[in-house]
Amino acid sequence: MHTPKPGWLDEIFPYEQKFVTVNGRRMAYVDEGDKAAPPVLLLSGNPTWSFLYRDFFPVLTQAGYRALAPDWVGAGYSDHPFLLAQLTTAHHVADLVSLMDQLGLRQITIVGQDWGGPQGLGAALTRVERMAALALMNTFSLSQHNGEFHSSLFPWQTWNAPLTGPFFHQIGKALAHAGPSAVSRRGMSPAEARAYHHVFDEPGSEAGVLAWPRNIPWAKGGRGWEDMRAIERRVAELAHLPTLLMWAPEDEVFGLDYAQRLGELMPWAEGPATFDNAAHFLQDDRGPDLARTLADFLAKHQIGGRP
Amino acid sequence: MKFITPEPEELSYLRADPLLTEQELDYWPELAQALERALGLRAGRAYWRTAHDHLMALELGDLGRGRPSTATVLGFWERFEPRPPEHEINQDLLDLVVWVSGLTDRLDPQITSKLARVGVTKNKMTWPAGAVLRTPEERFADLPGFDHEPGYVEIEGLRMAYVEQGKGSPILMLHGQPTWSYLYRRMIPLLSHRGRVIAPDQIGLGRSDKPTLPHAYTYRSFTRWMRAFIEKMELTDITLICQDWGGGIGLRVLSQMPERFGRLVAMNTALPVGDCAHEPFLQWRAWVARMTNFRLAGFMNHVLTRKLSRQELAGYAAPFPTPAHQTAILKFPSLVPIRPDHPGAYENRQALEVLKNLDIPTLLIWGGQDEITRPCKVAMRAIFRQAPPVKMIRHAGHFIQEDAGEEVSAIIDEWLGKE
Repeated sequence: MHTPKPGWLDEIFPYEQKFVTVNGRRMAYVDEGDKAAPPVLLLSGNPTWSFLYRDFFPVLTQAGYRALAPDWVGAGYSDHPFLLAQLTTAHHVADLVSLMDQLGLRQITIVGQDWGGPQGLGAALTRVERMAALALMNTFSLSQHNGEFHSSLFPWQTWNAPLTGPFFHQIGKALAHAGPSAVSRRGMSPAEARAYHHVFDEPGSEAGVLAWPRNIPWAKGGRGWEDMRAIERRVAELAHLPTLLMWAPEDEVFGLDYAQRLGELMPWAEGPATFDNAAHFLQDDRGPDLARTLADFLAKHQIGGRP
Repeated sequence: MKFITPEPEELSYLRADPLLTEQELDYWPELAQALERALGLRAGRAYWRTAHDHLMALELGDLGRGRPSTATVLGFWERFEPRPPEHEINQDLLDLVVWVSGLTDRLDPQITSKLARVGVTKNKMTWPAGAVLRTPEERFADLPGFDHEPGYVEIEGLRMAYVEQGKGSPILMLHGQPTWSYLYRRMIPLLSHRGRVIAPDQIGLGRSDKPTLPHAYTYRSFTRWMRAFIEKMELTDITLICQDWGGGIGLRVLSQMPERFGRLVAMNTALPVGDCAHEPFLQWRAWVARMTNFRLAGFMNHVLTRKLSRQELAGYAAPFPTPAHQTAILKFPSLVPIRPDHPGAYENRQALEVLKNLDIPTLLIWGGQDEITRPCKVAMRAIFRQAPPVKMIRHAGHFIQEDAGEEVSAIIDEWLGKE
């Protein structure tokens, strides 16, 4: 892994990266703003890292929040273990909980997109008393709802099946070297695309990208099923938290049907507030707008913020 | 997928390299079961020979779940040699996962295959950008006695060049190191009334494309490329005329597809099995190993027994303007197995057994002024015992086609007339 950051990345991502050891592995995170301000945990998914939230940091810190964005183990500047068995949903949740504990975070807002959604909910449920609010963006709605994209043979099932999975993800770098850049609505600069891809340059660093799709709960007994059910069963324990859904309806991965199903599981949630001209990685397409909507929502619920 | 049992001797020369690991075959239990049925084992290795002639194995592991739980694809490479170019390995791995996709209704081999040819994955399946050179066309203008219009076939993403003249059964003229089809310029017109003379340029030489990755050039890849050339050109009833590496490659190819060959002419060549390294060759090998820029015109002027004009000599240098264009010719001598356990020696011993039992009409012609292949004449004679006594051309050296092209052609012409 590249540490320190290469110069070309520092130009477009001028945020200091910090590191903490969680469950025996190194986790990278960005921590911007006043340490005494209410923390907002910005959670990315597969195959991204805190770079995805770069437009959130200035907006949230100016609005009076502490903006934290960790890289999941297996992604970004965190360790990239080779063993899939070290990359289950339970591992990711426990890693995040460890970060929250070690930084002593209180009055936490968790913001999650893609795998940041369910993994963030898992951490919230594990430290309910430390939580202040939730915001979910283009993520999936726990078990028993897998849409067209994830059921497709071209590409999803073929990308992730036994043997074809390692072939496409680890040799073909199908997602690792072409995730956000392939679906950007805004149009990315080569440096921005590199920023997403370069963390998977090292051969054998792509296990996380392969493990995540396999954590999708398809059926009882399958990989990821029990972890997801453990989150889904208890999600009502979060009903007291102000919750906001922000959605890019043009996303081909998680369309509005996923927002509707989340709304059924979490009937207390507000939204979805929709954002056009954005695809799956809406933070990259519409970052500042999402951040302002989030800040307004938190202020409305009197969670920190500057008057 | 045709599974084989490799000889222990072959495996003893190779290292096993894990290329693809499936840690959780249990992700789709029914596919794990289908693999067990297809391989006929729950734990252990099933081997096959890939499209690139490499030995690979699928190794299954059993964790006691009543089916295989892990799978590793192993590539077997020459023990201490760099492995082949990545795209070559990746194509072989793709063949495997396409086959695996046919074992379950939940995947489609065609979709698997298509998916490897889109997006960033497709870049992993071809030569890296800038890794293949093509000698500029103008280097080949005005070659004395060699104004043939070249033809091209595509082989593994590379353009392979050849010249041809005449009609009928193919007369395949294979050059070696460090030359190209130009070496046959005196012989082509003199034998074209006997058949369709075809003189290809080995990949990396002549007008053919030139990969700059040194590990792209192995004994195995040269023979594979030549086999592909013969298949693409649909050549049968071939008269093989070969010299130097033209024989090293051609004789191996002959052993691999004997049904396509009708006659053989071998000149100043060898099928090295690692038991006849001799001083002149070792000196040549060491000399090339020290070289950074091969001065072809000066070299040919030095070794030819016939005096050539400056312009004629320049033809030998034409394909190799820079050291990068010389990757193949700088690599060739090191590919000769000089010990029995060197890469290629085992395969040549296998080839030798085939050739010894091959009753193919054979003619051996030898230039007498060639120190490099002097001991190989006896070895050649021992393989092809059906051949008449070796026709010696005492004044000719290693490059007999240039030194004595007219005499060699006359001998072959007469022999073909009788055959």
